[in-house]
Order: sequence, then C-alpha cells, then structure tokens
Amino acid sequence: MDNTPLLVYFLVLLGALVIQTPVISGPWFFLLRAFFPNWKFFHAVGHVPHLFVRFSPNHADWSDWTHIYPRELRRLQHLIHNPQTNLVLTQQNLVEHLANDLNQLPDGADARSLVSYALVAHWVQILGRTLAPQGTHCQFEVRMVLPGLHGPLEQDTMLVSPVMPCL
Amino acid sequence: MPLSLGARWLEWLLCLSLLIQTLEYLRLLPALADDGYAPWRLQRADIPQAWIRRVLDVLFTSAALRAQLLLRLVVLALIALQGSSLGLVMFLFISHLLILIRWRGAFNGGSDFMTLVALTGLLIVHSVALAGNPALGWRAGLWYVCLQSVTSYFVSGWVKLLQPQWRSGKAMPIFLECAVYGPLAPGHVLRHPLLGRLGAWAFIVWECCSPLALWHPLAAWAFCAVALVFHFLVFWFFGLNRFFWAWLVSFPAILACSAQGIF
Repeated sequence: MDNTPLLVYFLVLLGALVIQTPVISGPWFFLLRAFFPNWKFFHAVGHVPHLFVRFSPNHADWSDWTHIYPRELRRLQHLIHNPQTNLVLTQQNLVEHLANDLNQLPDGADARSLVSYALVAHWVQILGRTLAPQGTHCQFEVRMVLPGLHGPLEQDTMLVSPVMPCL
Repeated sequence: MPLSLGARWLEWLLCLSLLIQTLEYLRLLPALADDGYAPWRLQRADIPQAWIRRVLDVLFTSAALRAQLLLRLVVLALIALQGSSLGLVMFLFISHLLILIRWRGAFNGGSDFMTLVALTGLLIVHSVALAGNPALGWRAGLWYVCLQSVTSYFVSGWVKLLQPQWRSGKAMPIFLECAVYGPLAPGHVLRHPLLGRLGAWAFIVWECCSPLALWHPLAAWAFCAVALVFHFLVFWFFGLNRFFWAWLVSFPAILACSAQGIF
C-alpha cells in the first residue's frame, strides 16, 4: 500500500499544532464536542479553577471556606467500576466550564444567566446536606489556583457568589 | 492480526468498555435526578431550540434514561454473542450521544470521544456493507478507528513536546500532585527531578513515534503493549479507568491495519 497519504496526514497534523486557528464556538459545538476531539491531554500547566464553599446555620456565623476538589481513595477494582471518581472529575470539569464561561462573559452581563453558574450554585446548595447538615445558607467562591510541586504557588478569587439558601 | 479477527475483537472490547460505562451511568442516575447534582430543569437551558428541549424533556426523565441504559445492556449482549449490525450500532451511537448531551457534552472527556470513534468505525463498516461490499466496509471502519487512535497519541505527544514545562520534566509531577489520587508522597520517585524528566521524555517520545506502529505488525504489538502499561498508569494516578478500556478497543484495529503493511 502507498504510504504517502499517511505521511501527508501526519505532517498536516503537525502543522495544525503549530499554526493557531480560530476557535469555533456555539451551544451545539459545546454539546457535540465529542465529534471534534483535540486529543490534547494534560498539555500545559496553568491556573486551574477551584471551588470553595462555606455554610452558615443562621446567616451570621459562617464556617471556614471548604475546598471542593476531587480526591478519592485508590482501589484496583476501580479499573472496572469507578462511578464516584468519574463523578467528582466531571464536577471539577463543571467548575472549569464555569471559569471559562466567566472569562467569555461580556462586560456588565450577569453570571447568574449562565447554565454553568446555575448548575454550580445548585450543586453547592445541595452540598450542605452532607457537609453542613445544620446549614441554612451557603456561598461559594471560584479561585484560580496556580499549582506547584509542593502546593499552590498563587491563587486569585475570580467569583464570589451571593448568599444562597441551602436546599 | 487478520482483519476479520481484528473486527471481532474490536466488537468484543467495545462491548466490554460500554458495559463498564453503562453500569457506571446506572449507578450515577441519582446525580441526574431533580434533587441531584445536575437536574435537567437547569441544564435544559443549554439547548437553544425549544422543540429539541421538549423532545429531550421526554428522553431525559429518570425512567427513560434508566430504560435506555438497560436496553443498552441487551444490545451489548446481542453484539457480543452474534456480532454487530447497522441497527444495533445505530442504537448505541444515538444512545451514546444522548448520554453525552445529558452530561453537557462529555462525562469523561477523551474516553467519551474514543468510544464515539469506535462506534463511528462500526457505523462505517455497516454502511459500506449495506452498499454491497462488507470486506471494504471492515477495512474502512478499522482504518478509521486505527487512524483516530494513532492520531490521539501523536497529537498528545507533540503538544507536550512543544511545552517547555514538559521538556524540563516539571509538568508531570505537578499534574500528579493535582491528580484525584494525589498528592504524591513526599519521597515518591517521581518527585526526583531526573526521574520525572526521564519519565516525561519516555512518554513524549513514545507518543510522538506512534505512527511507527503501522510500520510492521511487531511494532504494532510492541506499541500496544506499552500503551496498555501507559493507560494503566493513567488509571492508577489519575483514576481514569474509562480511558484504559476506551483505548483498548482501538488496539485490534491498530494490529489488524499494521498487518496490511503500510510503510
């Protein structure tokens, strides 16, 4: 079989990695992005959005901010059944989508109009059931954290939500 | 590996991968319920067209989602026992897409994409077969899966090579520090700068050279053996069990296509 088409294919791929192309976006591109995989896994170290939440039983005495970040216990059997780890990873993805949406939000627009914001807010509102059963109110922050070898190198607050009732 | 054997192994491994995914989705159905983590009443605002929202309102009720996932198990059993057909693959393809939309486009990133690649490969197989040439269909379908899989390693390797932090060996320990099973223990070998750098370069070179797997069947077997270890390590450190199975599905295609002697 002639190998030229394959060589050309891989050369074009290399070229596409070097040349910057415009990003196409839209609701259906987002929902059907599985059709356009970019295969860029763990490619660059940079700021990562992290979610912090706090609760209050009376709207006055607030708990410390709690860091909500995927950490699970490793088990070999997770190779064939790992729903909890996959769920916390997808929850972290939601926080990343929120940070991305906030970056693209036009000046003066309300973050509460974002689906990603609504989903994170709802998630925080039900988190109180497990994290603070006595909590009646909650609040969340999104902080951009630059990871380092021995913990975060820096972090900046990107968003502070209004106080919300727990569900 | 002959094309016919590669085709059958691809079907079996895809069934296994989708079985694992489906059982996890069934377990996670409460997260999609109205009082769960991601209720549809909030997420439906993602859909721009009102009529599509109304259709999805029906398809994404808890009962409909459960029924769809249970039907998936039946279809997977049929394919594992008797082989795939256009109707069965079309069902899995649509079901996979619907589930991805319900999880806002992706539940587990790359593994969702690679599963879609395998399903698209089988759709190519049966569409071409329907036109009267089953042998060409299998050849085209397996080549599609093979090329997408090799492309995934190739692109993943080269984007790392272009990053100074990967070349210096600093990136990998930082990603491991942030991983779901992390952080690394204080004395972990991968914290050693030289070993971290060696490990990073080993994977970068291996990924960048992935097209060479198509050079000879032995190269393909060696490539797939290293890939198996690689994906196990990705699972072990990052918890990405679905990646292991989703990419394993593509190995029969790589082995079968390499036997055709490209280079």
